Amino acid sequence: MDILEFSAKLESEFEDLEKGSVTPATEFRNLPGWSSMHALIIIAFIDLNFDVILNSTELKEAKTVNDLYYLATKKNV
Amino acid sequence: MNKFSLHNHTILITGASAGIGRACAIEASNLGAHCILTGRNEDALKETAKLCVNTTDIFVCDLKEIEAIKNLVGKIATLDGVVHCAGITYPRPIKFLKPEHIKEVFDINYNAPVLLTAQLLQTQKMNNGAAFVFISSISSRHPYFGGATYVSSKAAIEAFSRTLAIEIAPKQMRSNVLLPALVHTKMLEDTKLATGEDKFSEYEKMHPLGFGQPEDVANAACFLLTNEAKWITGSELKMDGGLLLNGKIK
Repeated sequence: MDILEFSAKLESEFEDLEKGSVTPATEFRNLPGWSSMHALIIIAFIDLNFDVILNSTELKEAKTVNDLYYLATKKNV
Repeated sequence: MNKFSLHNHTILITGASAGIGRACAIEASNLGAHCILTGRNEDALKETAKLCVNTTDIFVCDLKEIEAIKNLVGKIATLDGVVHCAGITYPRPIKFLKPEHIKEVFDINYNAPVLLTAQLLQTQKMNNGAAFVFISSISSRHPYFGGATYVSSKAAIEAFSRTLAIEIAPKQMRSNVLLPALVHTKMLEDTKLATGEDKFSEYEKMHPLGFGQPEDVANAACFLLTNEAKWITGSELKMDGGLLLNGKIK
């Protein structure tokens, strides 16, 4: 899965977002209506698609969708 | 002398290496109990033992394994009480669930306490009048997003406890469950890291008395272990710092 597909799939998991609102540069915590529910969806999405479990420190340090993609692909080796 | 005493009581505490389990061990010890501490982390169990004012025994074991349960039960003397604290959460929205998530959570939160209880009864390791205390969660009644496996496992252990209460009553034994809301433990700190400080303090404000401390739960567990609670069985005590007073939680 490349970064664009990653962004698009993640966007579709956040069911309440407008199409195109998630890009690699998106700072995901600034998305409208951001909550702990979205953090959980990110962890589960990466676990399901990459078999990678992000810990809370890694998630805290990630700022953008690109950071998430980097973490997911780096740990999935 | 304290009216509520556990002198001459031997109490087994699972998950005693941290959080609510550690607090139960400390409080039971303060009330005079000899505590048998179990968990997977030997160093952490030794740390708990150091914080206990009375005698303790430590058994390092993984309660997911039936052989480990049999081995533990085979080594211990008869008991006056058990506090089942060992537990995990594996937050996942339902559409992301994998079989291993369900197995992991139920192995620890349901199968382990059920099989340990069965083994203790089968080998007659529980003295007449003994008490079982299970740690459930307010979320079994008021679920949260992503909590399907955890919440279901806790609801199952509550149903188990009520059944157990019927089966052990002829020997004056009792079984009860505590249902705490959020308590300051490592699990809570991890949640704070993941969700961010702001959202977290917003959630704490929904608890008129704030989040709980492990010893708040431990004090209730210890009361249920004492002889003064001899008429209480099959009950479930909600402990939520007032969270549900407004009739809703997010």
